[in-house]
Amino acid sequence: MVSVINTVDTSHEDMIASRAVLPLQHDAQMDYYGTRLATCSSDRSVKIFDVRNGGQILIADLRGHEGPVWQVAWAHPMYGNILASCSYDRKVIIWREENGTWEKSHEHAGHDSSVNSVCWAPHDYGLILACGSSDGAISLLTYTGEGQWEVKKINNAHTIGCNAVSWAPAVVPGSLIDHPSGQKPNYIKRFASGGCDNLIKLWKEEEDGQWKEEQKLEAHSDWVRDVAWAPSIGLPTSTIASCSQDGRVFIWTCDDASSNTWSPKLLHKFNDVVWHVSWSITANILAVSGGDNKVTLWKESVDGQWVCISDVNKGQGSVSASVTEGQQNEQ
Amino acid sequence: MEKMSRVTTALGGSVLTGRTMHCHLDAPANAISVCRDAAQVVVAGRSIFKIYAIEEEQFVEKLNLRVGRKPSLNLSCADVVWHQMDENLLATAATNGVVVTWNLGRPSRNKQDQLFTEHKRTVNKVCFHPTEAHVLLSGSQDGFMKCFDLRRKDSVSTFSGQSESVRDVQFSIRDYFTFASTFENGNVQLWDIRRPDRCERMFTAHNGPVFCCDWHPEDRGWLATGGRDKMVKVWDMTTHRAKEMHCVQTIASVARVKWRPECRHHLATCSMMVDHNIYVWDVRRPFVPAAMFEEHRDVTTGIAWRHPHDPSFLLSGSKDSSLCQHLFRDASQPVERANPEGLCYGLFGDLAFAAKESLVAAESGRKPYTGDRRHPIFFKRKLDPAEPFAGLASSALSVFETEPGGGGMRWFVDTAERYALAGRPLAELCDHNAKVARELGRNQVAQTWTMLRIIYCSPGLVPTANLNHSVGKGGSCGLPLMNSFNLKDMAPGLGSETRLDRSKGDARSDTVLLDSSATLITNEDNEETEGSDVPADYLLGDVEGEEDELYLLDPEHAHPEDPECVLPQEAFPLRHEIVDTPPGPEHLQDKADSPHVSGSEADVASLAPVDSSFSLLSVSHALYDSRLPPDFFGVLVRDMLHFYAEQGDVQMAVSVLIVLGERVRKDIDEQTQEHWYTSYIDLLQRFRLWNVSNEVVKLSTSRAVSCLNQASTTLHVNCSHCKRPMSSRGWVCDRCHRCASMCAVCHHVVKGLFVWCQGCSHGGHLQHIMKWLEGSSHCPAGCGHLCEYS
Repeated sequence: MVSVINTVDTSHEDMIASRAVLPLQHDAQMDYYGTRLATCSSDRSVKIFDVRNGGQILIADLRGHEGPVWQVAWAHPMYGNILASCSYDRKVIIWREENGTWEKSHEHAGHDSSVNSVCWAPHDYGLILACGSSDGAISLLTYTGEGQWEVKKINNAHTIGCNAVSWAPAVVPGSLIDHPSGQKPNYIKRFASGGCDNLIKLWKEEEDGQWKEEQKLEAHSDWVRDVAWAPSIGLPTSTIASCSQDGRVFIWTCDDASSNTWSPKLLHKFNDVVWHVSWSITANILAVSGGDNKVTLWKESVDGQWVCISDVNKGQGSVSASVTEGQQNEQ
Repeated sequence: MEKMSRVTTALGGSVLTGRTMHCHLDAPANAISVCRDAAQVVVAGRSIFKIYAIEEEQFVEKLNLRVGRKPSLNLSCADVVWHQMDENLLATAATNGVVVTWNLGRPSRNKQDQLFTEHKRTVNKVCFHPTEAHVLLSGSQDGFMKCFDLRRKDSVSTFSGQSESVRDVQFSIRDYFTFASTFENGNVQLWDIRRPDRCERMFTAHNGPVFCCDWHPEDRGWLATGGRDKMVKVWDMTTHRAKEMHCVQTIASVARVKWRPECRHHLATCSMMVDHNIYVWDVRRPFVPAAMFEEHRDVTTGIAWRHPHDPSFLLSGSKDSSLCQHLFRDASQPVERANPEGLCYGLFGDLAFAAKESLVAAESGRKPYTGDRRHPIFFKRKLDPAEPFAGLASSALSVFETEPGGGGMRWFVDTAERYALAGRPLAELCDHNAKVARELGRNQVAQTWTMLRIIYCSPGLVPTANLNHSVGKGGSCGLPLMNSFNLKDMAPGLGSETRLDRSKGDARSDTVLLDSSATLITNEDNEETEGSDVPADYLLGDVEGEEDELYLLDPEHAHPEDPECVLPQEAFPLRHEIVDTPPGPEHLQDKADSPHVSGSEADVASLAPVDSSFSLLSVSHALYDSRLPPDFFGVLVRDMLHFYAEQGDVQMAVSVLIVLGERVRKDIDEQTQEHWYTSYIDLLQRFRLWNVSNEVVKLSTSRAVSCLNQASTTLHVNCSHCKRPMSSRGWVCDRCHRCASMCAVCHHVVKGLFVWCQGCSHGGHLQHIMKWLEGSSHCPAGCGHLCEYS
C-alpha cells in the first residue's frame, strides 16, 4: 500500500521558504485575513493550516471527498468560517467551522463529471458559490438560509469542460448615493470562466435571476487553465488575467463598462503550461505559476508594459520582489 | 473524441491496426471475449451472441451463434470466454445455470458443442485453463464452482465455497493447479483443482461483494480484486498471508478489472452501475485514473484488451448495445485536466505555492513544452520498481514571505496605523504623514505629502490649513491656488535647472510667497512680478550662470527672508494688467513640463523651504486667484490621486482625499471617491485594522460610506420607566410619555455618552454612574437591582 508522506516539516529550509511535504497538492488558498491556509490534494483530503507568524500548524484534516480534491475556496468571514472544496468525485462540499470543529455543512452533487473550480462571490451578494465542471456546466449555489442552498445551472457553458471560475468584484452601476441607506444596492453580478474550448466567457446575472453569457474572449489556442478577475482597487477599469495550456498569459482590460469591450494584452509566452494566475490584493502584482515550476511576479509599469519583477524557483526560495510600491518603475 | 489516431503495432508478425470505433449491437451485451488472433471478438448477452471481426475501420459481423427458431434459455449468456489456445473453442455461462461450449469448426450452422446442466442457478463466470486445452471452470450463483473436462460429459470436480454465490473464477497463470474465486460476502478463496474438499486459502478482500478478480500477466503472484465497495485492491498472493499492496478508490462499484498488457502497474476497470466510463488506473496513483474512456452511454459490462501483448487497444461491450474499440491514445486523461500546482497570494504579499516534488528532480532533463498532450509527468520518468512511487507524486508546499521592504503589505498596515487624517492643521497633517512615509522608506509618497503641504498651505497660510471637511463644508473656502508643479520635478535631487537660488531671488525682491496674513507688498513687487520678461529672465536665465549658488540653498537662510517677500493674497485683484502679459517664456515650459504651467498663470517662482532635508521649488505662482480656475490644482491633485489608485495604493488616494477634504473633493466624481473609500475600508478590514477603518468611515463625506457604520449595528432600547421597548426614535417613551434618557444620578436628560444597565434599564451619565458604582453596586435609581456594567 502506498504510504502517504504527510509529515509537516516545521524546520525551515532557509530563512524565507518554509515547506511541508504533502501528497500532490492541487490548490492552496489563504483565508481572508491571511492567517489560515487551506490545501487540497489527490489523497482526497482537505487540510487547513494555521500559518500565523510564519508557523504551520495543522488545524483540520477534512475527509469526505471520494476523489482527488482540485480546489478550495474560503468564504468571506462575515458568514463564519466556511470553506468550499470541489473534487474529481463530482461533488462540491461546503465545510463549516462550528465551535472549533470543522464539519461538512452541505454537499452538492449536481455535476456529471469532475468539478474543477469553485469560487465564492463577493460578500456583498450573499453566500454564492460558482462551480465549474468537466461536464461543461457551471452551477451557482446560493445560500437561502436555514441550511438550504438554491442551485442554478448553466449547462454547456464550455464544451468539453470548464476549468476555472472567478467573480468580478462587487461594483455598483451608478453611484451608491442614489440608494438610501438600508436599501440594498442593485449589484450586477458577473463572473468569468475559462474552459477547454480555449475561451474565456463572462457571465452576467439578468434581472430575472438567469445567467447569460455576456462576452466571449478569444485569444488562447489551448485549454484555458485559470482566470482571475483582479480586485477592484482604485479605478473603475476591470481587469482579468488568464492563463492557458498554450503557455500564454493574457491581461484583459475593459476601460469602459458601458461598451463592454475587452482588449487582450499578452503578458508573456511561457515555454510550458501555465497553471495559475493570482492577483495581489491591491491588484497591482500578478503571480503566475507554470509547468516550469516557477512562480513569477509581474507588475505593470507606467507605460503600460508588464514587467517581471521577480522570479521564484520553488526549490530555491525567496520571492525577491525588488519593487516597493513601484517607486522604481515610476522613475 | 476529437482526436482519432491510428495505431499500428507489430506483435511478432501479426500487425494490429485500428482506430477508436464502435458498432451498434442489436441488444445489450453482458460480456465480451477476444480470440487469440486479436482479430475477432465475441459478444454475448441475454439476446445476443455474435462474433465480430475487428477490421481496420470498423467491426464486421462475422457469425451469429444464436440460431434456431425458438431461442433457448441456454443462449441467454451471462458470460463468454474464448479459448486462448484453440481458436474454435468458446464457452458461455447461461443465466439458467447451463454451461455451453461451442465449436466453431463444426460444419453445421449450429456450433453448439457440449451442454453441462449441473448448476442450479445462474452461472456468473466461465474460465478456460490457460495452458490445458480441455479444462473449463465455472462459478455460479448457487455457491458452487465446477471443473469440467471437455472430453467428458460431466464435471470432474465440484468446489463448494460455503457461501452464497460465486462472482468470479480465474485460473492462476503461475500455478498450474490454482484458481481464485471471489464471493458475494467479500471473500476471496484460493483452490487447488486437485483438492475439491476445501480451499487452500481464504481471506476477506472487500467490504461487500467481490465482483471480479484478475491475475497479473507478468507478476504472477499478484491478484487484483474489485468490489462493490468501489475499491480495487492488488494482493500479493506469494506470501503466506495475502498482502494488500495497492488500493485504488474509484467512484462506483467495480464490475470488471483487467490488467493492462505490458504495463506493469496499469489496470482497467468498469462499473456495473452509475458510472458508464472505463478507467485505466496506475495502481500506484490510487486517486486519479491515468486514462478514461467515455464512449458508452450506459453501463459497461465487458472489457477486454485486444491482444495480450498490446497495451493500446481495449475492447468493451455495454448495456447501451454497442461494442467499442478504444485506443489508449484517444483516452482522456483526467490527470491532464488536474492542476498539479497551487498558488495563492496571501494578504501580506506572501505567496503559497504547492508543486510536485518530482519536478525539481526532473527539471534538468525536461524538454520544452511542445503543445501536444503529454503523458503525465509522473509516469514519464523511467521508474525503478524499487522506487517508492508515493514520493514521486507528492508535492511540496512552500510559503514565500516577501523580503523586508519588498512587495509585502507591512507598509500598508504601518502607514494606516500611523497616518494622521484629521484633528490637526493641514500643514501638520501633511508633515506628519510625510514623515511617516519617509520613515517607511516610501519617499515618493513622502514627497507627495510635502508637495500637498506646499500647495495648500505655504508658510504663513496656516489659517486656511484647517480647511478640512469639518470646516470647509460647502466650498466656502475660496482657497487661493498658488502653485503649479510637476510631479516629476518634485522629486529630490532633480536637475539643477529647477533649483533656484533663493538668495538671488531675495535680492531681486520678486520672489513671492503668498501669505494672507502678511501685508508687505510694494508696488515694486507688483510691477516686477507683472513684467513677464523680467521674472522669467530671472527665473531661468539667471539659473544657468549660477548653478553653484543654487546648491548653497539653505533653509536657515531662507526663513528670515520670508517676511520680506511675501505677497498678500488681498493684493492680487489689484493687478489686472496680468491679462495682457505675454505668455511666459518658452524656457519656463521647457524646464517644467507640466502642461498646466503656462506663462499667463505662472509667472513667478517661489522657493518654499518646507523641510530641512529637501529644498523644494514651487515652479510658479498663481497671481490671481480670481483669474485662475478654481480647480487649477485640483486637476493635478486629481491626477495624482488617480495615479496612486491605479498603482494599487488606494490608501494614499483616500488619505489625501480625507486630509484635503473640500479642497479636492469637488474635482473627483463621487463614484470614484466612493469606490476608493470602499476599497480602502475593505482592505483595512482584511488587515483587521478596525479602528482605522472606523476612522475612515467617520471621516468620509460620502453618504454611502458613512452609513456603513450604522449598517450593521442595531440598538434596542427599553424605556427606563415602564421597561418596555422604545418604539419611536425620540427621547420620549410613547407609552409612559416620559423622557427615557434621564440620568439616574443627577436626574437630567443625558446627551452624549449614556451608560445603562441592561438588567434594569436604568443608567445615566457615564461619569455619574462610574462614581456611583464606586460606592454602591445597587442601581442608583433605587430599583434594587444589582447593576452590572461590562
